[in-house]
Amino acid sequence: MITLRRLNRDEAVRYLGGAGIALNEKMNRLLEDCERELLSVIDAKFLYRVIDLPFDAIVKGRDIRGHLGGCDRAAVMCATLGAAADRLLRVSQITDMSRAVVLDSLASAAVEQVCGEADALLAERFPGTFMTFRFSPGYGDYPLDMQRTILRLLDAPRKIGLTLNESLLLTPSKSVTAVIGLSDHPIPRGRRGCAVCSLRETCAYRRKGSHCGFENTASE
Amino acid sequence: MDLKTLLQNKEFVLLDGAMGTLIQKSGARYDHSPETLNLTRPELIQSFHRAYIEAGADIVYTNTFGANAYKLAESGCSVEEVISAAVNNARAAAEGTDALVALDIGPVGMLLEPAGSLRFEEAYDYFKEQILAGSGADLIVFETMTDLLELKAAVLAAKENSGLPVLATMTFERNGRTFTGVSPAAAALTLSGLGVDAVGVNCSLGPDELEPVIAEMTRFTGLPLIVKANAGLPDPNSNEYSILPERFAECVLSLLPYGVKLVGGCCGTTPDYIREIARALSDRRCLPCPRTADTAVCSASTVVEINAPRIIGERINPTGKKRFQQALVDGNIDYLLGQALVQVQGGAELLDVNVGHPEIDEKKMMARAVKAIQSVCDAPLQIDSTKPDVLEVGLRCYNGKPIVNSVNGEEKSLASVLPLVKKYGASVVGLTLDENGIPKSAEERFAIAERIVRRAEALGIDRRDVYIDCLTLTVSAEQDACRETLSALRRVKNELGCKTVLGVSNISFGLPDRETVNRAFLTMALEDGLDLPIINPNIASMTNAVRAYRVLAGIDKNAADFIAANAAAADAAPAQEKKPAAAAQTDIFSAVYNGLKSEGAAAAERLLQTEDAMTIINEKLIPALDKVGEDFEKNKIFLPQLIQSANTAQACFDVIKAHLGKTGGENVSKGKIILATVKGDIHDIGKNIVKTLLDNYGYTVVDLGRDVDPRLVVETAVEQNITMVGLSALMTTTLKSMEDTIRLIRGTKELQNPDGSSRVTVFVGGAVLTKDYAMKIGADYYCRDAKESVDTAKRVLG
Repeated sequence: MITLRRLNRDEAVRYLGGAGIALNEKMNRLLEDCERELLSVIDAKFLYRVIDLPFDAIVKGRDIRGHLGGCDRAAVMCATLGAAADRLLRVSQITDMSRAVVLDSLASAAVEQVCGEADALLAERFPGTFMTFRFSPGYGDYPLDMQRTILRLLDAPRKIGLTLNESLLLTPSKSVTAVIGLSDHPIPRGRRGCAVCSLRETCAYRRKGSHCGFENTASE
Repeated sequence: MDLKTLLQNKEFVLLDGAMGTLIQKSGARYDHSPETLNLTRPELIQSFHRAYIEAGADIVYTNTFGANAYKLAESGCSVEEVISAAVNNARAAAEGTDALVALDIGPVGMLLEPAGSLRFEEAYDYFKEQILAGSGADLIVFETMTDLLELKAAVLAAKENSGLPVLATMTFERNGRTFTGVSPAAAALTLSGLGVDAVGVNCSLGPDELEPVIAEMTRFTGLPLIVKANAGLPDPNSNEYSILPERFAECVLSLLPYGVKLVGGCCGTTPDYIREIARALSDRRCLPCPRTADTAVCSASTVVEINAPRIIGERINPTGKKRFQQALVDGNIDYLLGQALVQVQGGAELLDVNVGHPEIDEKKMMARAVKAIQSVCDAPLQIDSTKPDVLEVGLRCYNGKPIVNSVNGEEKSLASVLPLVKKYGASVVGLTLDENGIPKSAEERFAIAERIVRRAEALGIDRRDVYIDCLTLTVSAEQDACRETLSALRRVKNELGCKTVLGVSNISFGLPDRETVNRAFLTMALEDGLDLPIINPNIASMTNAVRAYRVLAGIDKNAADFIAANAAAADAAPAQEKKPAAAAQTDIFSAVYNGLKSEGAAAAERLLQTEDAMTIINEKLIPALDKVGEDFEKNKIFLPQLIQSANTAQACFDVIKAHLGKTGGENVSKGKIILATVKGDIHDIGKNIVKTLLDNYGYTVVDLGRDVDPRLVVETAVEQNITMVGLSALMTTTLKSMEDTIRLIRGTKELQNPDGSSRVTVFVGGAVLTKDYAMKIGADYYCRDAKESVDTAKRVLG
């Protein structure tokens, strides 16, 4: 469906905890090798579906309600890198753990890029529409079991092979589900960030005074 | 009327079109599951079935695609009531006609291990429940499957709980694979072996795109093929499908030369499509298509056709290998996986898997090994055990068509092994020995081979799936034996038409330069018709001898494979040659600090000539590791660099260990630690990082893997007397399992001191965990990252 040509290495380096660390030649080569290998197996797919008010099917809890406040439509979406990428991550964890760590970070960056492509397509399909950021189950009080609803609404297991297990983990693992609010009127554009992140208390990036890339919680 | 008669009497069998499309068009409302309409709107569902029968369908699928316990959970309806209502609806519609009712079953909706966490037997139970509830149908259909192992669970559930015929179709994407990577050939081969009545494709693609998939399938099966395609692709705006009935029927006609006999429609098709197909087929003849491929075995993604010599890797076998035996006892499955991957890299096309060892439960280990190896490695496997019950657990959970190693001419073996081979649709190695041992002469061995083939054929096993092993004997003990083996091999090949297999390296026991002897024997055997040499593929000259033979025998056209394999080897070689030269300048400290593995090992070798092992560890290795750890904490280096350094230290430890083995010094392990990612959690990279580091710091890690039952943690701790346990959980949803595991550890008598306090130190980690929470659930230590785990281990075990 979409082809990624390059991966966002800066982002991957940040996931590796490397904000501020100089990349030596060896690390650079490792990143390069891993990027090439990962790109050769990624089979990126996404789905979205726009639903109209009322949003009963996808609203659960205070935070998603707030997120969709003022919106007259919402897009539910999901994206995945596919099963082969998962497999590469598994194999690398047996053959070379340092590679595995780099591949894992690059894959996280990649799935974010796929979501970006989905955003762009959505914007193209609804020109002039204002969009919120992607709000995923697990943010704030939006429960993880809403992933099940989102996947069902999108017929995701059948259409792109994306499923959920009983512990509410997505398989393939490098995947995302999210809700985006759409509106004809400008909406306060909050951003994804620590304020809504359920990992804020344990986050390794925050501990180091850094962030995972979505630190800015202020409205624009 | 039944399916068999239908297949015999009719030129083509017409299936129905989409159920979901009609439901959607009708605007009928339902909560969660469209299958509940069987109960709430029976007349509507019946009208759909009737419309398809009137359009010409010989078989209608019940409205039960997602009627399993998992998907119906939120609907408030039971599987039993939905399915029996659905069968009744189809029956009512078929009344007065010859139409058959097929119980329709789709995927469970969760992914099986290893990609997901659903266990094979759990999937089996979901299907079993549906099959029992649908016993009133005329046949069973499994469709829209993307995981071959899930489909295997479904077919076995059908075969073991019902006498109904089975149709099986999988869904392929434009790249010619299912979402989980299953190839059409592997699907056809595996499902034919499992004894389904017809195989094919449904959903996803339109009939205009299915030719490559169908063409590949038909090469590997003699069964009638099923095509139930989508009406092309839906338009994202209008949701209308792109292929109209007439064109759909035209496309179907173009697939007939591949042996297509059962035709219907999937998403987007309606009775109009079925009517059009019926019209188009009315003056056509079915063109049965015999299987053209040679005997083959497969994993879910890779088919190996035995139409040329193929290398079976022999290294996954504990016989005579101390480290391997220790790995089995410790449950160190990663060691096996490493062996598997290295052999494939070396050139093995198939892998023998033997995990027999007196100190372990071979059945459990076989299941674990097969699943784990298949999760990282595409090569088909040869399941190797002397015990039929071990063979069966391996066969059951194997994804694809394996080889069974082995059956022999002994009555007990024939009677217990061959039925398993038949049931699970495997190939089998037949050893030419019996209750009287290995016969001396070629004639006697040939006679046993004949007996094995006869017995296999009596059970319906194709003789091409019997691979005869004429047995290699040690030439230093019996010099004539080699000639007898080869003479038997030639006769088996020429007179019985069976494929042949031989373990090669036995030939040279007791002789110097075994490699040369092995290679000469290998070449002789290949020329005499050996198809499956079992060798150590990591010995390049052996693997290359097979490749060279393929060139000389005219199999490897233009020597393309041979040249490619040797170019790859040449690429890898200079890098290795360079290292020792550079190593001369690298001291052990900077090798470890910079993560230079072979330089580190070389430095350790050099140091051992002048210094004592423990001095090197304590004064060189540990300080280097400490410096790396310190820099990591100070945010000066990346995690991968820390791991590379730790790996280098490990390489140094290995050198030192080997040295101590020679000189009989003290053991360097600093103690045993259990690691597990808790029940329900399958994302285990964090745990694996911790494992790598602990390993490298000299601890012995017993890695129980992911999704680990609390009881397994406790059993292992008790059995191996381990008093340090590390647990990892990634999800808020699985923290509960962590708590359960700790509670079980604390409550186990065998793991307590006489005063009732716990002897076990538990350390925990994971993205969602906080120190407070860790303490609350009874852990002793909370570790923020892998480095802290090592610090904790140092504190506790020293």
